[in-house]
Amino acid sequence: MSLIAPAALLWLIPLAGIIIALYLLKMRRRDVRVPATFLWPAMTYEIRANALFQKLKFSWLMVLQLLALAAIVFALARPQMLQRGLGGAVTVVVIDTSASMSATDVKPSRFGEAIRQAEGLISQAQSTDRIAVIEAGSVPRVVAALSGEPSRLRRALAELRPSDADGDVGEALRLAASLAANQPSARIVLLSDGVFPEVSNFSPGKAEVVFPRIGTSGENVAISAFAMADTPRGRELFYGVRNFGREAAGVRLQLFADGKLFDSKSIELKPQQTLGETVRAPAGAKLLEAKLEGGDALAADDYAVALSDPGASVRVLLVTSGNLFLERALTLEPRVVLDKSATVPTSGAWDVAVLDGITAERIPARTVLRFGASGRGLNLRKPTFAAGTSGQPLLRGVELSDVYVDLAESGAAPAGAQVVAEFQGGTPAIMTRQASGRREVIVAFRPLDSDFPLQVGFPIFLANALDWLVPPSSRGTTMVVPAGRTISLPVLSDATVSLKGPTGSITLTPTNGSVLLRDLRTVGKYEIGDRTLHVILRSDLESAIAPQDRVVLGGTPVASTSAITRFADLWRWVALLGLFILAGEWWLFARRS
Amino acid sequence: MSLLLGPTDFRMLEGLRLAPRRPFHGRIRGERITRRRGVSIEFADYREYTEGDDLRHLDWNVLARLQHPVIKTYQDEEDLAVYLMVDVSASMQFGEPAKATLARDTAAALAYVALCGQDAVVPIAIGGPRQPLVTYRGRSAYARVAGWLERDLAAAGPSNLAQSLREFARQNARPGFIALLSDGLDPAAANELRVLGGRGFEVNLIQILASEEIDPDLEGDLRLLDAESGAQVELTANRDALGVYAENLRTHNEGLEAACRRFGGRYHLVRSDTPLSSLIRDHLRPGGWFQK
Repeated sequence: MSLIAPAALLWLIPLAGIIIALYLLKMRRRDVRVPATFLWPAMTYEIRANALFQKLKFSWLMVLQLLALAAIVFALARPQMLQRGLGGAVTVVVIDTSASMSATDVKPSRFGEAIRQAEGLISQAQSTDRIAVIEAGSVPRVVAALSGEPSRLRRALAELRPSDADGDVGEALRLAASLAANQPSARIVLLSDGVFPEVSNFSPGKAEVVFPRIGTSGENVAISAFAMADTPRGRELFYGVRNFGREAAGVRLQLFADGKLFDSKSIELKPQQTLGETVRAPAGAKLLEAKLEGGDALAADDYAVALSDPGASVRVLLVTSGNLFLERALTLEPRVVLDKSATVPTSGAWDVAVLDGITAERIPARTVLRFGASGRGLNLRKPTFAAGTSGQPLLRGVELSDVYVDLAESGAAPAGAQVVAEFQGGTPAIMTRQASGRREVIVAFRPLDSDFPLQVGFPIFLANALDWLVPPSSRGTTMVVPAGRTISLPVLSDATVSLKGPTGSITLTPTNGSVLLRDLRTVGKYEIGDRTLHVILRSDLESAIAPQDRVVLGGTPVASTSAITRFADLWRWVALLGLFILAGEWWLFARRS
Repeated sequence: MSLLLGPTDFRMLEGLRLAPRRPFHGRIRGERITRRRGVSIEFADYREYTEGDDLRHLDWNVLARLQHPVIKTYQDEEDLAVYLMVDVSASMQFGEPAKATLARDTAAALAYVALCGQDAVVPIAIGGPRQPLVTYRGRSAYARVAGWLERDLAAAGPSNLAQSLREFARQNARPGFIALLSDGLDPAAANELRVLGGRGFEVNLIQILASEEIDPDLEGDLRLLDAESGAQVELTANRDALGVYAENLRTHNEGLEAACRRFGGRYHLVRSDTPLSSLIRDHLRPGGWFQK
């Protein structure tokens, strides 16, 4: 037990002294003449004092008054006691709803355990405690603002659903820190398995971060790669299966072509082993699916889809040191399956590599969209953008006259390049090139060195560039979408459309000729109108479900702990005891009076 | 000179005679039958004739029939000593009306009844200064007894009930009927009553208490001053204290009653506001104080 304000105990000395001094006062009694005094008992209760001092006598009233005073002064000292519990006076609960939380190594699942712990926290909360709940999903959100109403908090918890998508725990923690800012005795409770990247740019302030790790096992086998490519030998299917666990695992891989099983094989994997194979795809198959059977802890990564139409799904590698505009604009494109890297990887196979000011000799992609440096450096000239060449499909719907560029390359166009747009003065600004079967779009400036990303035409330009780099062979009605992605789909009419998915059906209302799909959280097949969406999870991070004993938040390692304690404020109970003693003292006084 | 009692009281008392529960020896011939064989019209028994017996009491019929002389004996009739003890201690001045008033009127009534019955009435002021015992006889002496009650009782000073009773017991007065009119508020009173009973007196106590003594109306923090001894008791008058007082009073009164009844006496507890007529009609008559 500890005291928040131990100095308040000093009040006990003068106040107790006053009470004792009052009992030293002698009572003045009324004289009454009676026939005989021998019948009367000598029963005196000195409950009033109105004369000079006398010798201190024992009095239960005095004892009770001193006890009540001691209790009240003790309450003013704010006693606290350490007890088991997650919450604090202000608690922000961050519940990780990423794909790894759907693992079933704890029953019913890690997500279910997180909800159970959150409900326990709400149940244990005192009446003055306030709790907020934040969902750390692909898009973090506050599902319950700071509140002391258990029913409201439980309703918010009931609305939470697990997701098969990546989670953004960092953003959720930053949101939690802002909620807990300037709150005394605040605590951020992260209900997660710790399967998320290191969180940067996070400071909890005065709040305490508590991480009760959820999950027990990291045994999981996932389909790490699944793609189809046309080769000189014909159409081939490549798949990769990886064991993320620490023990050997055996699974059965089933391959389907247009819903029909065409291959099945048992695979034995050593710990951390990845097995990749190439098989010939059935001729004419449009939709190829892979399913793993082995009953591991995470089911979402046991399913993969590949489409025969290469334009239906575009694998894009974004190489950047950080460009939110590019990332957002690319993810808005429904065909894009985006991978992000700070450096150019040495291996891999992408349809498009988007280089944001990065120079590389060997690029593992069929086509390249290059922004900025092409090996000649930048100068500090401040070119003004000129109008682009009309009629170019790359600039369809893009207005360049309002774009201003701060820094750009000053050199001439590379060999074989066709200038699509140029600066005033004739310096090439946007070029296209086709060399040895590789298409390339060259933009002579980085987006962040201009106001182009702020223009309406920027995402349109990116869509045009992707269409030019990877032309769709046909307008397919089937797409593969990563889980958690928000995409926009064009629709023909403004009538409401129905989205049927593995978790049910919802109705969507189009806006400006397109519908925004936000609820593709669960892996599986979705149908909207005549389109079919296959939502998949392909994330090595989420598949590596081993719960972490330590997470790094804002550069500070936070260790998980199973026995989390909190300081429970006892002053109310002590004050109540004081009032109870006072009531007893009053009862005794009234009885003796 | 006041006679203390009114005409209705005298009419009520007319014809009554005190009824002691046992006979007492008298000093002069009276109207009370004693255990002593004497001359009266009350036949007692036969006994053998001895020389010197009065031949007037020889049963001639028995002599004629049995040829054997027997003498008829008769119960003697003597006067009864009635000690009218009136408590004059300071505590008797409590009550509304004062306890002393009822004690004086009751003493006057009993004196009248005793004098009319040719008994010897000895009025004694208990709790006052010691006075010589004066005996009154005959109806005509009532006025003097009434005068004594009115005059000397009022002049009596504060003293101690038990001490006065103890002094009376030492005076070797002839045993008789004691009518003690007192509040009995002396812790040693019961002992002294037992002493008197042991010496042959029939102690009859009429305990007179004021209403505020039976149900005291006290409250708060008090210092109680004893009206007689001046002793002080500090008291917080609450329910507990009043409960203890009521229990103490009940125990004390039971002691007084037991002391009276042990030697054949009577005990009555009356409030000071009880009318004299009610006292005689509802307490003394049913209690067997008077001959029927």
